[in-house]
Amino acid sequence: MAAQAKHDWADDEDLDDSGIQNAAASSGIVDLPPTQKITNKDGSTTIIEYRYNDNGQKVKTTRRIRFITHREVVNPRVAERKSWPKFGQSAKDGNGPAPDTTSVGENIIFKPSINWRKDAKDESKDPNAQAMKDKLKDKKVKCRICNGEHFTARCPYKDTMAPIGEAADVAAGGMDDGGDPALASVGAAGAGKKGSYVPPALRGAGGAKGESMSGGSKYGERDDLATLRVTNVSEMAEEGELRDMFERFGRVTRVFLAKDRDTGMAKGFAFISFADREDAVKACNKMDGWGFKHLILRVEFAKKAA
Amino acid sequence: MRPILLSGHERALTQVKYNRDGDLIFSVSKDQQICVWYAHNGERLGTYHGHQGAIWTVDVDPTSTIIASGSADNTIRLWDIKTGKCLKTWEFPTAVKRVEFNEDGTKLLGVTEKRMGHLGTIVVLDIIVDVDAEQSDEKAMTIVCDESKATVAGWSYLSKYIIAGHEDGSISQYDAKTGEQILNYPIHELDNAITDIQWSQDRTYFITASKDKNAKLITAKDLEVLKTYVSDTPLNSAIITPKKEYVVLGGGQAAMDVTRTSARQGKFEARFYHKIFEDEIGRVRGHFGPLNTVAAEPNGKGYASGGEDGYVRVHQFDKGYFDFMYEVERERANRIGVTA
Repeated sequence: MAAQAKHDWADDEDLDDSGIQNAAASSGIVDLPPTQKITNKDGSTTIIEYRYNDNGQKVKTTRRIRFITHREVVNPRVAERKSWPKFGQSAKDGNGPAPDTTSVGENIIFKPSINWRKDAKDESKDPNAQAMKDKLKDKKVKCRICNGEHFTARCPYKDTMAPIGEAADVAAGGMDDGGDPALASVGAAGAGKKGSYVPPALRGAGGAKGESMSGGSKYGERDDLATLRVTNVSEMAEEGELRDMFERFGRVTRVFLAKDRDTGMAKGFAFISFADREDAVKACNKMDGWGFKHLILRVEFAKKAA
Repeated sequence: MRPILLSGHERALTQVKYNRDGDLIFSVSKDQQICVWYAHNGERLGTYHGHQGAIWTVDVDPTSTIIASGSADNTIRLWDIKTGKCLKTWEFPTAVKRVEFNEDGTKLLGVTEKRMGHLGTIVVLDIIVDVDAEQSDEKAMTIVCDESKATVAGWSYLSKYIIAGHEDGSISQYDAKTGEQILNYPIHELDNAITDIQWSQDRTYFITASKDKNAKLITAKDLEVLKTYVSDTPLNSAIITPKKEYVVLGGGQAAMDVTRTSARQGKFEARFYHKIFEDEIGRVRGHFGPLNTVAAEPNGKGYASGGEDGYVRVHQFDKGYFDFMYEVERERANRIGVTA
């Protein structure tokens, strides 16, 4: 953290034009405030240092450091080597690791396991597929047009009959698996503009469950506590990319990206399940409003499928 | 575990080495300087300057007094670890691809490249492990590899043999006193170069890494293949971890193919295998390019890897690493615990 303290850029111009005296006056000769050390209540120390950078600008560095004494017994040879002076390109470095050559990477979870490969695969696919199968076992396919036992798309009356949702009264009765009175009323009120597009981000906003969720009921009562709904996802998105983005916050157990069956393009929403709800909260806070493929993601907790 | 990233090099790493106490890490890359780091916090102690070409290899003597380095400027140089001073330079007709001290640090072998009409050789130099000593100019021995050039070489237990890996995938055993070839077996697939040889702690067996995607555990005495570790990518380096019975393999797609693939497909991960059961037990990712070199901490607490991406990553293992046991291992441990 470096802040330029009380130095106007306009002064720099002067400094360049008006020769040595001025330059000398503003670069180095003026005494710097002494280094301050403040001991904080929580046991950490704040160190404020001032220095001039290459352009003669004053730089204030504030570091907050907590000292933890860690005792380690090493053999005398190692101990001796720790006191060696630095040399070569490191000759000018101070004590401790120099920030330009040494940094700490992100945490890597590494736990050897015999079936690590299977574990990795299982968590992405198998439990969901199994859960889905279980849920679908006692579900029947029901046509929205004629209530027959086939998919709506395969309905013989597809072109001749209007879907049940067309008329307001049928809509209320027709969404039998919705069951949500709020939704039914919304459906009734909005029946006139049924075909109008509602952006995915707004679908859930009315307090009713989103339109995109209507298909979600078949996934049953998965642990929704740690599941995020991501909307406004680009058509070009891939599950892997989403997984990569969200894995930063913790272990992701499932990524579901809705895709168009024919084109294979993403439909614009996805569900991300975390193993841990706290991770999900973190991810929700961080990723809401995140730019991804020219679109701004909207992330919220998935609502329970009614 | 949180790896420490060392970014002292501007080009691809070629070798990383721990000293015997495990407190210093030496790293060399194609950018003509050697860096030495404190292993516990990643602080850079210094750099060694003088080489005029890419540095291919480095090794440290057992007392951590001097290091030797081999470079594409056709020299082997000896350096004082503490001050960074170059103590001695030996010139060769071609680049030096590998140097290694024997167990007591009195001999140094160097593997020279086959180029411009010169055959690949393995040279042996007598070393006096003392900063002030005058090192001999003479080569104690030269082994000429007339069939296939040696790519890597090392000293066996008691400096009895020199084991060399060749470009054609074969391993040979030379008598370290006379330089006579005793054995030569085509152990890896034909024309898949051996890219690394690293020793067990007592130097009675070693692990090889090869471009044929396999690593093998081989005895020094009669070059018997004990174990084979199969991976799915060309390997650049392999180590045997002390303390736990694992091996670590490093590799990844060749640098020239990297731009065509994503990081995930590139397989830039350190692969852990169980040394005895030959099963893969996990991977550690992090590098953006293939791993060129892997080094084991001599106390078994961690490892360091150097990649084509110019970074050295120093890892300290967590508890989970030490706790992992196969069922049979656990049963045995329990039995011993009961009887003891």
